[in-house]
Amino acid sequence: MISTYFSTDQLASPQALLTAVLVGLAFGFVLERAGFGSSRRLAGIFYFRDMTVLKVMFTAVITAMLGLSFVVGMGWISLDSVYAMPTVYGAQIVGGLLFGVGFVMSGWCPGTAAVGAASGKIDGLVFLGGAVLGSIAFNETFPWLGWLKNWGYQEETLYAFGMSRTVFGALFAMIAVAAFYFAEWAESLHGRQTYLRSPMLKGIGLTMVVLAVAMTLLPASAPNSPALAAETTLVGLEREQGLLSSIEAGHDHVDPDHLADRLMASEKDLVVVDIRPAAEYEAFHIRGAVNVSLADLATRLAEHKNQGTIVLYSTGMTHPAQARDALARLGYRNVYMLTDGLKGFVEQCLKPVSLRNEPLPPEAEAKVQAWRNYFTGQEAGPASASLAATVSPLVSRDWLQEHLGSPNLKIIDVRKQPAFSTSHIPGSVRIDPESLRSTVDGIPSVVLPAEVIAAHLGLMGIAADDTVVIVADEKVRDATLVGMALSRVGHRNWGILGGGFDVWASEARPTGSALAGVPRTAYEIEPGADQFTVTAADIAPLVNSPKVVIVDTRPEDYFAGEASDEARAGHIPGAVNRPYSTDLGEDGWLRSVAELAQEYAKIIPSKDAHVIVHCRTGHQASQTYFVLKHLLGYHNVQWYDGSWTDWAARPELPVATGA
Amino acid sequence: MSSVTPTKETPASDGNKPLPLWNPYFAGFLLGLTLLASLLTLGAGLGASGGIARFGAEVESWIAPSHVAASEYFGAWGANPLAYYLVAMFVGVVFGGLISAVFARRIDVRVEKGAAVSSKYRLSLALGGGVLAGYAARIAGGCTSGQALTGGAMLLTGSLVFMGCVFAGGYAAAYFVRRQWND
Repeated sequence: MISTYFSTDQLASPQALLTAVLVGLAFGFVLERAGFGSSRRLAGIFYFRDMTVLKVMFTAVITAMLGLSFVVGMGWISLDSVYAMPTVYGAQIVGGLLFGVGFVMSGWCPGTAAVGAASGKIDGLVFLGGAVLGSIAFNETFPWLGWLKNWGYQEETLYAFGMSRTVFGALFAMIAVAAFYFAEWAESLHGRQTYLRSPMLKGIGLTMVVLAVAMTLLPASAPNSPALAAETTLVGLEREQGLLSSIEAGHDHVDPDHLADRLMASEKDLVVVDIRPAAEYEAFHIRGAVNVSLADLATRLAEHKNQGTIVLYSTGMTHPAQARDALARLGYRNVYMLTDGLKGFVEQCLKPVSLRNEPLPPEAEAKVQAWRNYFTGQEAGPASASLAATVSPLVSRDWLQEHLGSPNLKIIDVRKQPAFSTSHIPGSVRIDPESLRSTVDGIPSVVLPAEVIAAHLGLMGIAADDTVVIVADEKVRDATLVGMALSRVGHRNWGILGGGFDVWASEARPTGSALAGVPRTAYEIEPGADQFTVTAADIAPLVNSPKVVIVDTRPEDYFAGEASDEARAGHIPGAVNRPYSTDLGEDGWLRSVAELAQEYAKIIPSKDAHVIVHCRTGHQASQTYFVLKHLLGYHNVQWYDGSWTDWAARPELPVATGA
Repeated sequence: MSSVTPTKETPASDGNKPLPLWNPYFAGFLLGLTLLASLLTLGAGLGASGGIARFGAEVESWIAPSHVAASEYFGAWGANPLAYYLVAMFVGVVFGGLISAVFARRIDVRVEKGAAVSSKYRLSLALGGGVLAGYAARIAGGCTSGQALTGGAMLLTGSLVFMGCVFAGGYAAAYFVRRQWND
């Protein structure tokens, strides 16, 4: 098998860059020799005057397509080793249309303009300048128009409009040859000497079509085991044709609801195979499914060959389709794929009724409830109920969107009303972060004791092993304060949605206004989880000690004692001032981890250093705590929840003033 | 291999004629092989607009470095946006074109346009088209090289859709900008 710089993640290595230069040299050379250093020639295609663009482009596409099909079919390379651009219908349609207008206006496209400019065309150079400006304009308008880039994004990269790649390739070659004849004919109308009747064109056309049809005899994907490889050489044309006709008729799919019913009925001889990696299977799988790796499919399934029903599934559809094709070539007649994969199954059968866009009729609702009870119930074992991995402290929007509807994903929205009621991420529950704070032991505005927090979480339907994503607007500190409450009860798996709700909404991701009906839970506290909250009594002996870095996150004037809302003005002697707002960018969100790491390294000597953060009430400091502890990996960070309100009101404690 | 006679836009002084262009099918075949080589070594196809956008990020960060670092799109490319394989490829394309043009005696510094229009008119269309194409390529995640050629050869559904839309957009607008080629 060939491995590529992409598949080994070395595209940035010097060798890969050198290879890219060499590829570029050949690319530029060929473009120039084809005559693409001329905008008049390039624009000619749009007036049916000079069809060189069509001829060169289609010949190149068909040549590379045939070459790629051949090496993939021979099992020399896996398609996974080649970067495939994602399918984003809206972006590709809008981008394509605009690009076409730019192309005909200028007579250039980016690659050809580079060659044109290199051979002295001033209009080519001007086009390149324009394209640089256009890229900058895209960056500048990204906050408003960036969503276009993801408009119509498909979870899975799609090939050949869903047809078999090689069959589509054969059709494509025929279309290309027809286009060549059309191009020659169009040029002949302008009185040019053409290849319309030349034997060369006939030869090229025939070769392309014959080769493309021959490719349909090769396997559509690289076989995964030597056993498979050996047997695929026995491929027969009939078998392939039978396979193609059954694909066309849709006989190779099983719909999620049918599969769910058949599994619940404990149908005999039904084998459901999860072909995802073992770790993903462990995290969640359809109840009753077995986990088999692609390489072991042929051996593990041998006893079920043509007996009963084999249903393959993965997250999406590509891998099962490839596996199914490979098995069909080995003579399996009883292999089916789960329509839309595990995603489709979760979406159609397991997504709670309350989260669906359209209300369901009562009988369908009952059905979903029955499926949910069976497939997400106790019998499935605790493993199937949990999501794949621990979420990162800043949860990506893609991750959240992908996992929306997962049974143990809980979303806490901390935004104000009426923002929440107007629009929120489907399934969210709202809490005002202030309702997690009150006066405790006479100290105002501190986070409630663990048992009170647990009661709150229970009312919100959250359990200790849930994955929790906190959603804020521009006030990151509201999310981090809820994070402190979660940490106090020992909740392990939580994160904050990166960019917050506003960016989520601006990217046209799912939102709704329905309230999630959540059943209460009894939240189980992890005893002794809160080792990070400190009190004035803990800090008093450490004042001016070199062993601790006290970070005061209030604004400069409060730190200096020039402004005060509390009993006394000033700061804890020896503390350093790092206003929480310094960590935020222009957009109100946390700045890049790299920048923050650099700046904190100047204040705090090492990742193991003892750090105490505080502000006026503990709210702002919760953000700094999150940055240090969860984003930058400082191990020994503590949080003075009582903060300056508490310190200033204790006359026996020392106070310093000045910057 | 028969060849197309050089067209009139490449004027030739006596005794120093440019070499003829390649037969378009032969050129296409070699372009296809180049693309295939790229796919099998780099694991990624050809690309031009990606390199240009990286230059855009570099240029903008000369002017407003902290703004670019904080911006959501360019910011994701890190402190050195030029350290990227498509930038290397773009440099290759420029030099490949230059080498070919020098050996074919096709270096010719001028504005290519129809005789009926001014250079200013032609250059403003080239600039406007460049801005539009540069912007559109960022939306679509590629241009004629990355989406149409590469994605087309890989039979990616989205790239085939892109290719169709490029032609649709081009043919729809062709009438309005035809004057620039009038002689």
